[in-house]
This record gives sequence, C-alpha cells and structure tokens, in this order.
Amino acid sequence: MDQQPKDDIDIFEPTVTLDQTHYQDGYKNGYDDGLVSGKEDGRQVGLKVGFQVGEELGFYKGCLDVWMSAIRLDQDAFSARVRKNMEQLAALLSNYPLSDPENNQVQEMMQNIRMKFRVIMASLGAKLDYEGRPTSSKEDF
Amino acid sequence: MDGRGGAVELRETHRLTGHADRAWALAWNPNLGAGASPVLASCGGDKTVRIWKRAPDGGWQCTDVLEDTHNRTVRSCAWSPDGKLLATASFDATTAIWEYSGGDFECVATLEGHENEVKSASWSQSGSLLATCSRDKAVWIWEMQPGNEYECVAVLQGHTQDVKMVQWHPILDILVSVSYDNTIKVWADDGNDEWHCVQTLTEADNCGHSSTVWSISFNQKGNRMVTCSDDCTLKIWDTSIDLSQPETGEGHESWQHVSTLTGYHGRTIFSAHWSSGDFIASGAGDDAICLFVEEKSSMVEGPSYRLILKKEKAHDMDINSVRWCPQDPRVLASASDDGTVKLWELRGNILA
Repeated sequence: MDQQPKDDIDIFEPTVTLDQTHYQDGYKNGYDDGLVSGKEDGRQVGLKVGFQVGEELGFYKGCLDVWMSAIRLDQDAFSARVRKNMEQLAALLSNYPLSDPENNQVQEMMQNIRMKFRVIMASLGAKLDYEGRPTSSKEDF
Repeated sequence: MDGRGGAVELRETHRLTGHADRAWALAWNPNLGAGASPVLASCGGDKTVRIWKRAPDGGWQCTDVLEDTHNRTVRSCAWSPDGKLLATASFDATTAIWEYSGGDFECVATLEGHENEVKSASWSQSGSLLATCSRDKAVWIWEMQPGNEYECVAVLQGHTQDVKMVQWHPILDILVSVSYDNTIKVWADDGNDEWHCVQTLTEADNCGHSSTVWSISFNQKGNRMVTCSDDCTLKIWDTSIDLSQPETGEGHESWQHVSTLTGYHGRTIFSAHWSSGDFIASGAGDDAICLFVEEKSSMVEGPSYRLILKKEKAHDMDINSVRWCPQDPRVLASASDDGTVKLWELRGNILA
C-alpha cells in the first residue's frame, strides 16, 4: 500500500542472506588455505620432476661431452654414422624446452632423445644405460 | 624313383630329434662349397641352435650345438648370403652372430638394442645389412663393419604391436615386416640412411589380413610375396613395383593383393615359404603342411594358385616353420612344437 522509502534498510536482509554470507566466508577461508598448500605441493612436485628431467638430460650431455673430447683427440674415434647420430643427439638436447615444462611435446622429445642415445650405445657396443629412467614396455606376454 | 610320374606325395625322409623343447625355426645354408651337401640350422625353446648335415650313410646328424650364449629361447636363425655367418635372434633381447671357422662355430658379436624379445633376423642380399624385429614394436637395421662390429643404421617405428618377422627383398634393399597389429609394412631408404615406411598393407585398404601376420616369403624373382596369418589364410602379393624409387608424380603405385588362399588350414598359419621353383609350402597350428603351386595363366587376371596336397598330421603339434632346401627344390624341412625337425621329399608328377 504505502511505498517503502528507498533508502530504508531491509532489516530482514542479513537474516535472509545468512547462509550466503557463511558460504562466502567459508569459500574464502578454503581458497586461502588451498592456495598456500597448493603452492607448497606444486613446489615439491616441480622440484622432483625438474630434478629427474635435469638429471637424465645431464647424463646424456655428460656422455656427449666425453665423446666430443674423444673426437677432438682423435678425429676417427667414431665412424661417420655414429658421429652424425651424436650430432643429432646434441641438437635434440639443446632443443629440449627446459624453461617450458608445460610444453606438451616434452614427453615425445624425451622419447626421441632416449632412442637416439640407445642407437649410439648399440653402435658402440656399450652397455651403459641411464639408471634413473623407468623401463618403457611393461606389457603382457 | 626320381619323381617322374606317379601320384604326388610329400614323403617324410628323416626325423631329426635333439631339441629338448619346441623347435621354433629353420634355416638352410644358402651358399655351400662345390659338391658340399646341404646344411640345416634349427633353433628352439631349449636356448640352443643345432646344425644338421647329411652323414655319408645318408642319414642326418647333428654336427654342432650352439649353446651357452643365449639365456632364453632362440626364436629364429638366418644365414648370411655368403653362408659364413649365422644370426640367431633370442627372447633374451639380443641377436648373436656366429662365424663358422676351422670346423667350429664361434660367437663373434652380440647385438643389443631391442627392449625385449627379438623375434626374427634377416640379412639383405648385399650381405652388409641385418634387420631384426621385436616385441618392442620396432625394427632395427644394422650394418656390418670390419672386425665384426655392427652399427645401428636405423630404428624403424610404425608398428603398433609385436613385430613377428622381417624379410629383405631378394634383390633390392627393401625390407618387409609383419606384425601382431595385422599389417605388413614395407621400408626403404632414400639413399642417405633415412629409412621410411613406404607402404602399409592393411585389411581395410589393401585386402590385407584380419589378424596377426606371422610370416612372409618372397619368390626367387622378388615380384611376388606370400604372407600367412592367424586369420587362417595365405595371401599372395604382387611386389614388382620398386618402392625404393621416389615417386615424383601424384599416384604413388603400390604393391597389390593378388590372391587369398582360404579354407586350407583350420588354424593359425605360422609359416609360409616360397621355393626357388613355383611351390609354396605352409605350416600351421592344425599340424598340417600344405603345398601350393603357382600356375601361369593366360588369363588377364594373372597367376592363380592351386593346392597340390595337404599333409595332415605332419607333426604331432603346431608347425612353426617350413623351409625349402635351396640346393634341392623338392626337399622341405619343417619344425614343430613337438621338438622335432622333419625332412620331406616332394615326389610325383605335378602337372602344370
């Protein structure tokens, strides 16, 4: 009947929106908590995976450094084909996007690096293998 | 007496026992000295390779046992074209190279690289390339260097399952692989050590097999090949196109299906071999050996294939390998899960 004055506070509003207020409080608390623990977890995972990738790539790079030194001492230490494979391995290693862990090709690039390393190992008749990495095919027989 | 006239039959001439487990594969030495009699290698689940030769009295004896090298089943063996080297492929993930010198076989190299069971090995006609394949789905190509060193030339990935067998073309440097993924793949290089799959023969696009392909064999001229499968058929293919030549035009020609032989075996056909003549032998899980002959036809559609005979109960168990003798095209060897190797002679008059 009478119009409510526009600047009157609705005395029932806080009561009616109580559950919404509580929800928002709870959400904010949860979010803040999650942010802290998520950052910590993410840091742990990043450290671990980063270390694993770094260690494996470092291993291959170390082998390459030794081979390059051998070639400097004796140009014919390895055959032309093996040298070419080593050059290809060096290129694959330097192309690996170390600063871009979310690049979705890193899995495939790592597989290519591992395969190139195995080809060189097979051609040198050496049994050296990077121990840290998981064995690939675990299939049924 | 010498095969003239008379009914056609496959007569068992010798039964070679010695393997302590299933006999998986056979290989006849392709290049003997003048006047030398045939030499057969067999390998099996007992981790050994056995060498068989004909004795002066006409019987066959095991002259050598190659053991203490592989520590799992030896799945397949292959002689180099000059007959001096024998490659043995094993479930222990290695391929061993044996040299026959001074009356003895010596293991002169061990090729490691595959991740798991090696299923087959094949030497190219030029003799310098060796291909191996494995359950790891890859095919490796090796080149022999002086001093029994082997370099890996390429690792061919493309099959999506276990690769059962590899076989080089008898003349060209073209490699064929067959797999549990039901396909047949053809590989060639661009002249620069870059190997690619130049053709895949599938069920959908090429009238290919509908199940695991176990074996492949070229005819002597290299213009035909036969494959056999878990789908109980043999398929003949026209392989006269040289797929190693790059095509500059549009339509890339391909190897074509010629014929499917079905209804002859009731179980998986594990092995097929094309003799230096026109005969194809097949061995299967139904314990039988079938022989087919290619008939030149004057009809436009090309050659057809006729069953000459089916030898039931050729062995007591699955037949894993059948191989024609290169020096005597009427002699056939077979190897079986029953641990024996049998020699057969094709007798009689086969009317063309």
